[in-house]
Amino acid sequence: MTSTATLVNDVSAQRSSSAAIRQTLALAKRSTLELFRQPALVVPSIVFPLFFSFLGNSSFGKTTSLPGFPKVNSYLQFQLAGTITQGVLFGSVTGAAALATDIENGFFDRLLASPTSRLSILFGRLAGSVLFGALETAVFVLVLLPFGADVSAGVPGIIAMIISGALIALAVGALMSSVALKTGSSEAVQGTFPLLFILLFFSSAFFPRETMSGVYKTVAGLNPISHLVEGLRALSLEGFSVSATARAILVPMAIAIVALYIASRQLHARLRAN
Amino acid sequence: MSTSAKTILSTRDVHSTTMRSSWQLVKRGLINTRRLPSAFIPTLAMPIFNMLSFSGTFFALTKLPGFPTDRSVNWFMPLGLAMGAAFSGVGLGFSLIRDLENGFYDRLRMSPTSRASLIIGPILATWIRVTLVTLVVFGAGTLLGARPTAGVMSYVCSWIAAIGISTIGAGWGLGLAYRFKDMRGAAIMQMSIFLTMFLSTAQVPLNVMTGWLHTVARINPITNIFRLSRSGWVNASDPGYMSWSNSFGGLIAIVALSILTLIFALRSLQKIDK
Amino acid sequence: MSNSPIIAENLVRHFGDVHAVKGINLDIKAGEVFGFLGPNGAGKSTAVRMLTTLLRPTSGTARVAGYDVVAQADQVRRNIGVALQDAAIDPLMTGAELLALQAVLYGIPAAAVKKRSGELLERVGLTAAASRRVSTYSGGMRRRLDLALSLIHQPTVLFLDEPTTGLDPMSRLTLWEEVRRLNHEGTTVMLTTQYLEEVDQLADRIAIIDHGKIVREGKPAELKASVGAPTLIINTHIDQAEKAKAVLSTFGDLRPGAEGALGVGLRGGASQVTEVVRKLDEAGVHVQHLEINEPSLDDVFAEATGHRLEGADNAPSAGDNGDDEPKKKKRRGRK
Repeated sequence: MTSTATLVNDVSAQRSSSAAIRQTLALAKRSTLELFRQPALVVPSIVFPLFFSFLGNSSFGKTTSLPGFPKVNSYLQFQLAGTITQGVLFGSVTGAAALATDIENGFFDRLLASPTSRLSILFGRLAGSVLFGALETAVFVLVLLPFGADVSAGVPGIIAMIISGALIALAVGALMSSVALKTGSSEAVQGTFPLLFILLFFSSAFFPRETMSGVYKTVAGLNPISHLVEGLRALSLEGFSVSATARAILVPMAIAIVALYIASRQLHARLRAN
Repeated sequence: MSTSAKTILSTRDVHSTTMRSSWQLVKRGLINTRRLPSAFIPTLAMPIFNMLSFSGTFFALTKLPGFPTDRSVNWFMPLGLAMGAAFSGVGLGFSLIRDLENGFYDRLRMSPTSRASLIIGPILATWIRVTLVTLVVFGAGTLLGARPTAGVMSYVCSWIAAIGISTIGAGWGLGLAYRFKDMRGAAIMQMSIFLTMFLSTAQVPLNVMTGWLHTVARINPITNIFRLSRSGWVNASDPGYMSWSNSFGGLIAIVALSILTLIFALRSLQKIDK
Repeated sequence: MSNSPIIAENLVRHFGDVHAVKGINLDIKAGEVFGFLGPNGAGKSTAVRMLTTLLRPTSGTARVAGYDVVAQADQVRRNIGVALQDAAIDPLMTGAELLALQAVLYGIPAAAVKKRSGELLERVGLTAAASRRVSTYSGGMRRRLDLALSLIHQPTVLFLDEPTTGLDPMSRLTLWEEVRRLNHEGTTVMLTTQYLEEVDQLADRIAIIDHGKIVREGKPAELKASVGAPTLIINTHIDQAEKAKAVLSTFGDLRPGAEGALGVGLRGGASQVTEVVRKLDEAGVHVQHLEINEPSLDDVFAEATGHRLEGADNAPSAGDNGDDEPKKKKRRGRK
């Protein structure tokens, strides 16, 4: 009896912020390990964007001289931001699908039955995506750099890009997690994949908005993906500046805050329903 | 009893049986398409989305010197069509995997009908589906501003190319499905066929490409099929462009690749009991 | 050469390192109902898949309906009917559509298809449901449709692979009735099952398969007689099990009992029961439950294999398919 009582006391004592951080870290570790133990899910979100950036470089290399195109060394340099966004976007779906799988197979309920802080569950899950987003960004920059995808902003720029990539992963991961929490179905999360695809292709991820015609230009201008890409692009094309860094970091951060708010609302809705 | 079985099945009926069996399997394919539209709708939506987004995003390509048309829809409609056709083709592989996994295919294999009819029937059904997709894409393309340069023949050439690509995709998809018997086969068939397609003139013509892609696309037989598919949509100023010399390469590629992949499928089916 | 409709000689099948079937011999006579009995994973389905041309043997030969299953697969297919485990049926099609498809695949002349389908639907009691999609059918209806499909070309040899697994008792009885009727009309039936009652009810002769080998074969009555002595089953506290075994073994050979129970084949017959109880009492064994069983096929099975078929948890779930083929690991691919 005494031992149980002490344990419970400990637990209630742990309901402090330090405990929440420890729980988040433990769950973050789990979600990260889980991600990296499934190379079949991780590898495509690195390999495909790389393939398409090389394909694009050879296909659209000559377009960089067209009016409306910014001054670049190569199409690859222009494309880098799009490649990062594309990779991070697809990578984040994987993490959210894993959350839905947790809900489907009951692991989520087990977490809820434990005295774990509720937000740790969400943040722990997202931490894996954020780390993966940062890693993808670093890989894309390092792989494409020798082929002419220079980052004008130099090392500080690359660091800013990695932070930006992580924030994009957080934003998209949180949005997708809302879908996971709302539906509790990994199929529904995977089902949003084509939607992301459409958003990506109606943005300035592959070509500058200035070269687009009529309706497309308007759509790309309204598309949040365009703004995510263009922040990153400013770092690779314009050199390191406060305004470029601010765009690259503030835009995804703003989206991430909104997305996290939505996700935590969905989490609470699910808790109430339980 | 054994006599009645024999009378029912004299061997002289074998040829008519192959045709009847094939036709019966066509009917099954179409029934399933009608009753499970959720599997068919993506095949229909994908090419339209592809055409819409590519011709908008990459609109600036038409401004490049030497680009064979100033209508980006004219250029990208055949690509959308090819994507839809390839998707329908490998989709046959997907539904075969479903049949293999739930055991229905055992029933077909246990019947004394010719092995060829087990392949011909479903492929004929695919042709009907592809024709449907083609008609819808033509309609959507026209709305988006696609205009033929050689009248009815423009449509016919694109349709033949679509049928060809779907046959190649189907043979490849069926063969892989017979070999892997589960969804691993699906991932391989999808990736391989789309990579092969993009390593051709899918996105830009040869004279616009630079570097390695130019080398690869020049020898990729899919490039010939795209030339055939686009022969009535580009080079409007050259009335002699739609010609035998610009089409036969594509026809040869279609026939040769179809024969190869269909032999692969048939041999894999014959080996399925190993 | 024997003209039995099903003959297997030293039939072997390996899946990589897994030796699913390790050399079985069968000689099933015309007009017989032959029961093929064994637990999940014993090699039943693999053996049947070889006999029905779905799987090539690693070695050995088999002749079905007088034809070699490898060299003359097509002839074999024309003469056999197979009702598959799980009744694998395309759920999007209707019963009538599936029968029409099956008829054409078996080369039934167009003019005869309607009549034949109608007869079969009538026979299995599905006339009213013929134009409904199979996805709306109950388990029993699916099995009956499956049976009708396998009969479309009036086969002389019928393979039934676990025909009643997952069925309710009523549906099971209906199916048994139909199997008897078919057999009465002259069809040779090979029935694969893990239900003792099913072979007891239907089979003229049975083979017991375990770990890929046939361990007993014969008429059910003969096999039961061969086990001889009735089995005394007792339940006692686990602590006293060893003591109890020592006592029981003086009365005959110990036999495996169902979960936690002890069994002994009473050498001196059922009349020894009182003596056994007295001896157990003297040894300080407290008997919680006691029963005496005349030999059953389960005893035959236990004697032959060292474990019991009934009471073991082998009732398959509805989605359980394929008995013993190792399933390749499935990976979830992303598109």
